[in-house]
Amino acid sequence: MTSIGTGYDLSNSVFSPDGRNFQVEYAVKAVENGGTAVGIRCKDGVVLAVEKIITSKLLKPGANKRIATVDRHVGIVSAGLVPDGRHFVSRARDEASSWRGVYKGPIPTSALANRLGGYVQAYTLYSSVRPFGTTAIVGGWDSEAELAVDGQVGTGPASGSGGKVEGAKGGGPGLYMIEPSGLYWGYYGAATGKGRQAAKAELEKLDLSSGNLSLADGVKEAARIIYVAHEDSKDKEFELEMSWISSVDGPTKGRHEEVPKELREEAEKAARRALEGEDEDEEEKMEE
Amino acid sequence: MNHFPEAWGRPRDDVYGAYNPSYLQTTGPKAHTSSPAVTGTSVLGVKFNGGVVLATDNLASYGSLARFTDVKRLRIFGSNAIVGFGGDVSDMQYIDRLLESIDIRENYSHNGNMLNAKNLHTYLSKVFYKRRSEFNPLWNHVLVAGYDAEGEPFLSSADLLGTTFSAPHLATGFGAHLAVPILRRLFPEEMPLEEVSKEAAIDALKQCLKVLYYRDARSMDKYSIAVITKEGIEIKEDEVIEGQSWAFAERVKGYGAQTK
Amino acid sequence: MFRNNYDNDAVTFSPQGRIFQVEYAQEAVKQGSVVVGLVNKTHVVLVGLKRNAEELSSYQKKIIEIDSHMAIAIAGLASDARVLSNFMKQQSLGSKMTYGRPIPLDRIVNQIGDRAQTNTQHYGKRPYGVGLLVAGVDEAGPHLFEFQPSGLTHEMVACAIGARSQMARTYLERNLDKFPDSSRDELITHGLRALKETLSQDKELTVDNTSVGVVGLAPEGSKGRIESFKLYEGQETVPLLEALERADGAAEESMEVDS
Repeated sequence: MTSIGTGYDLSNSVFSPDGRNFQVEYAVKAVENGGTAVGIRCKDGVVLAVEKIITSKLLKPGANKRIATVDRHVGIVSAGLVPDGRHFVSRARDEASSWRGVYKGPIPTSALANRLGGYVQAYTLYSSVRPFGTTAIVGGWDSEAELAVDGQVGTGPASGSGGKVEGAKGGGPGLYMIEPSGLYWGYYGAATGKGRQAAKAELEKLDLSSGNLSLADGVKEAARIIYVAHEDSKDKEFELEMSWISSVDGPTKGRHEEVPKELREEAEKAARRALEGEDEDEEEKMEE
Repeated sequence: MNHFPEAWGRPRDDVYGAYNPSYLQTTGPKAHTSSPAVTGTSVLGVKFNGGVVLATDNLASYGSLARFTDVKRLRIFGSNAIVGFGGDVSDMQYIDRLLESIDIRENYSHNGNMLNAKNLHTYLSKVFYKRRSEFNPLWNHVLVAGYDAEGEPFLSSADLLGTTFSAPHLATGFGAHLAVPILRRLFPEEMPLEEVSKEAAIDALKQCLKVLYYRDARSMDKYSIAVITKEGIEIKEDEVIEGQSWAFAERVKGYGAQTK
Repeated sequence: MFRNNYDNDAVTFSPQGRIFQVEYAQEAVKQGSVVVGLVNKTHVVLVGLKRNAEELSSYQKKIIEIDSHMAIAIAGLASDARVLSNFMKQQSLGSKMTYGRPIPLDRIVNQIGDRAQTNTQHYGKRPYGVGLLVAGVDEAGPHLFEFQPSGLTHEMVACAIGARSQMARTYLERNLDKFPDSSRDELITHGLRALKETLSQDKELTVDNTSVGVVGLAPEGSKGRIESFKLYEGQETVPLLEALERADGAAEESMEVDS
């Protein structure tokens, strides 16, 4: 931030002499102040979770949702400026719906992430707009089953393969994180917002790349990670919101849904226990 | 014989007469669909105590050709409503995609504000009316079944003109002529809905489907039937009309070569 | 005059990731007179303190009916509120026309939220200078939402915005647990008392400066599903203000007994 005040940081789409776009970097600052959001790509589904700091006692408990459904099979959680996140989600819904208009089927998670990356990037190109003050995590499940075309009415020929390949399996989980610059990567586990450092450290311990973590365990881990990431702002109360997308034969049947209350509470209980356990460990060490 | 390329693949004028290209309109106002192409025939619906039942056969005809025999003409919307389609099948597929996009939109948030069958019927009738006003109609006649905002069973029709009509039992297409009289006999006007059982409603529709199969040359004996109750929607799409008896056909006279 | 270089428009982030123009717009809300909203299990109540520019001028409206199932209370630039309320009226009417359904509250609130967000991301626009409390009922029951110029919207159990609204919020927070089971009339009294808390020493609630709006679910067994929005102004507020006085009197008496 040595170039603050040199004038190169006053307008979007302007490079500083050392090749930086300051307005995009400042947008990232807005993200870094938002509640922590994480996503975990499990072998049989995807989990999204977010820490919602309770800013007022007058807020209706459990009512203000921060994880959005985009199409039946995709969800988005974001950290940073909440209204910008809603704008992002609104665009994602339009993209998913226009994809259906053209291809008569659900948009693959990767294609959605690609289009959204392009959209966010466009907001770094012009001085007439500002970049998005959000980093969004996009989670989805591309169906592994034979999909009907939207509006399909028949079952096809009764004999012969009808062009279908026996036993072929496609699809699977998808997790992407899109930053204010428009940059996006696919992830095994993604974290953003205030507690991202702690959350990332926890995600790395999970050995997600080996693809062994089940969705049920993923839910527990996501809850625990949000609780760990919250440690730094312990004085503030928060609500945990979680959603998931399972495989077609899993609990959500390939749909993006809120994690059922009982399951979430169970995961939260386990998370609190794990944290208390840690504290005790530390105390024991101190005593030693 | 004319060997110029523009005549290739065309019926010979000297054999079939000059080709009439008038339908290939080149000038004048833009014309949209002025007749359906692949069509489904009647849709039948009956309200009973606590719910509604809808039925259609599984045929899509191309003119008089029985072209597709596994066509699902009952479409389920969310978990609240069923739409039964008669008329053009491609327009039905278009509307089905329209309803799907609405269903996705309605599920963005789970706030307990789902569209009910009555809302859906209002919407569909507006779509039909808008399209016919643009002289570009969606060539369908639909029945919408489910519940209204008060939780009462709901059954209503909407057609390609945007006309709406509601009754405890309804039928579109040929069924309007052949099924409605049967249904009126089984469930007379003075009979309260509470006295119509689910089984009676289903049996009535099966009976109507059979009569329609006997008399409607654009129908078939494979059919779909869907029942909506407070417990949910139960749909069967692979049923066959049972207990057929074509004995009456021998006494049918006055067609083709046989005139007496 | 300027606090810094980053506050000239709504499309510039400060190095801390703040957008000053939006924050300044929130200040405009605090210039407006106070409005309070609160919910119980069946009803939503809006109350507002009306101001007149001068002795002989009329009072500025604080509560606007959007549809029979919904209303808003405003704090800040009234002309911006008119733009938003016209938009909301159109959307609500549109929903009734195409689906025959009163528009769900969260949907219309998100729509104005999205509109407001657009104003904070594009050059040549400015954020709305008004905050809203949106009250109404839908299939899921009564709702109260707060809308801010940033485009942020929150569903609340009770809320107050505008000048000196902190006093009202304090009252609401202290009495939060009493609202859900209170009756329709008790809820109005709570709202008026919260409003009263914000008044400076020399002011009081009168038939001229008080507005009350109520909408809710109809009692069991009545004809419609909802009790349509009703706005109380002028002489109609007399019984409500009297009820407040009676309740306050009773409270004071019991306190005297306690001491």
